[in-house]
Order: sequence, then structure tokens, then C-alpha cells
Amino acid sequence: MNAVFTAVFLAACCLFLFTHPDGFLPAMLAGAEKAAVLALSLLSVYCVWLGFFRALEGSGLSAKLSRRVRPLAGKLFRSDDGAALELACGNLSANLLGLPGAPTPLGIRATKAFLDKGNGYAADMLFVLNATSLQLLPTTAIALRLTAGSASPADIFLPTLLSTLLSTLCGAVLVWLTAKRRARRGHGMGKRGLLLQRGHPQ
Amino acid sequence: MNLVSYLIPALFLGVFCIALLKKVKLYDCFTAGAKDAVPLILSIFPYLAAMLILSELFSASGLSAMITDFLTPCFKFCGIPPEISPLVLVKPFSGSGSTALLSELLSVYGADSYIGRCAAVAYGSSETVFYISAVYFAGSGKKLVRPIAITLLANFLGVVAGCLLCRVM
Repeated sequence: MNAVFTAVFLAACCLFLFTHPDGFLPAMLAGAEKAAVLALSLLSVYCVWLGFFRALEGSGLSAKLSRRVRPLAGKLFRSDDGAALELACGNLSANLLGLPGAPTPLGIRATKAFLDKGNGYAADMLFVLNATSLQLLPTTAIALRLTAGSASPADIFLPTLLSTLLSTLCGAVLVWLTAKRRARRGHGMGKRGLLLQRGHPQ
Repeated sequence: MNLVSYLIPALFLGVFCIALLKKVKLYDCFTAGAKDAVPLILSIFPYLAAMLILSELFSASGLSAMITDFLTPCFKFCGIPPEISPLVLVKPFSGSGSTALLSELLSVYGADSYIGRCAAVAYGSSETVFYISAVYFAGSGKKLVRPIAITLLANFLGVVAGCLLCRVM
């Protein structure tokens, strides 16, 4: 991540220097301001969902759900850590239902739980599933088409579902394939877990 | 659409009723949840800030426009209309930016045109990859190049398939 950050940062700096040097600091400040605003709005979203998740845990429903899908989820994430799998299953269900803001707090906790056990494969898999869009109903796109005066705003449902299924499947298969090759070469998860414990910098 | 707006309150009501039967104290749940939210935000904020500063620099410096110009012919070759390539390229960096681009495309080309439908499918089938990676892996020190590359490739394939499907569906 450091290499990417440095490369993009330096390239942007050079471009600013030669085109419009006045824009450099305002752009950085605008980015930081966006982060501050986003953090506050996320704080409010997480307050609601984390409260709801507490109630969900107390009701015993989340444990029941995760017990049912646990064999499958265990295979998908190559993990037998019950608590982490429960969080990951909650994250995937919230994604599928399209509950706005709900998947993220669960995803953060699940990723942390997987990485604490040195299971980089599960963390990668969860990230790829989340970042290839798992939503069943593209609510935002449909709402925007409705406001733009579409005759049938929901007719993008099927193409969107099929293409997002394809991207999620491709992502999952690629994670599985690349992890397998690494394991055979002897650079598997064990080593990555060790690096993590030593607290390597990013 | 209507069904979705019923879903969330119904979900909350259902869960709260079952939680009440199990003698869960709802007020305590929500205070505890709000308390959990603060350290969670604090842990992701540094990564959020670095990522958003970088993506702002990326677009304001003209670097993203250069990359868009460079990639548009490649995108066209893969069947993605040139009009929506900025949307495809902005989506991984910015959710709000891509939402603004989508509504602009929809009003310029019409919501039911091929471009408009392609744009909506491309928007709906991809995700804000860099935001999710910054937040999920906040402070883990894990190497992220491989999962991010996989995700970008998978999302790109999804968009290509979506543009193809919009032609036939």
C-alpha cells in the first residue's frame, strides 16, 4: 500500500507543479475534509447498526443462522473460528439484503478476527466478496433511473444481477487459485501470519 | 422498490420482538452499540483520511483524466461505451463521485437509452474497492496488492458482461 500511495502521490505532485500549483493544497484539504465528514456520517450509521446487531445477537437469531450455514462458510473461508464466521455470515447477509451501511462494521470485525488468527486467505476472500458487490437489488441505480424518468426503472435488475454474480464468482475463484499456487510454492498463509505477528509495516 | 422499503422496518420489528422474548434489554443494546461505534470509527479514520486525500489528489491533478483518456480505447475494444468509461474508472475510488456521474449520464443520454442502462448496470455491479480495502484492512499491515488487483479485474469483467447483457436484454 505504501508503494501505491507514494507512486500516485508523487505523480500527482509533479502534475500539479507543472499545471496548476495553486490547486495542490486545496485538493489535499478537500480530501481530508471528505474523510472527516464521511467518518461522522459513518459514526451515526454504525451507532444504529451496532445497536441492532446487539439485539440480533441477544435474540439468538444470528447464532442460529450461522450454525446452519457454518459448514459451507467454513469451507469458503477455510476457517473453523465460530465467532469470526458468524460475523462474516452476517456481513454477507447484510450485503445480499442491501442494508445500507450494515455490512461494513461486521466486515471490519470479521476481517480483524480472521487476521488475528493469521488467516489471510479468509480476509482476502471476505474483502473480494464485498468489493465485487453482492447486492441482490441495485436500489441506488433503480432509484436514480426513476428520478431520471425511466419507463421501467427496474429492467436493469437482471443484467445487473448476472454481471455482479459473474464478477463475484471470478473474484472468489481468483482468490482461491492464487492462494493455492502460493501454498504449493511454500509461501502460504503460515508465513503471512508470522509476518503479521511480527508487526511488519504496511 | 416498495418491498425493499418494507423490509428494513419489518426486519427491525421481527428481531426486536424475538429479542424481547429472550428478555434482551433493547435500551442497553443501543447504548452499547453506540459505544462500540466510537472505537470502530477511530480505528478506520486514519486510513480513510489517507485514502480520500490520495483520491482527491488523483482526480484534481488531472491524473485520473489522463488515465481515462488512455484507457477509453481499451474499454471500447472490450465493448464498454466510451461515454461510461469515466464512471467505470471513478467507481473504485468514490461512491459519491460515481453516483453524481451516473445521474449526469442518465439525464444527458436518457434513462432508457443503451448508454443509460449500461451506466446503471456498471454502477450497480461494481463497488468502491479502495474505500472497502482501506476500511476492512485498517491497520492490519497486510499486503493488499493481490486482493485489490483481483477485485478490480473481477469488477471490470462484470462491467464488460453487463454492457454485453444490456444489448440483448
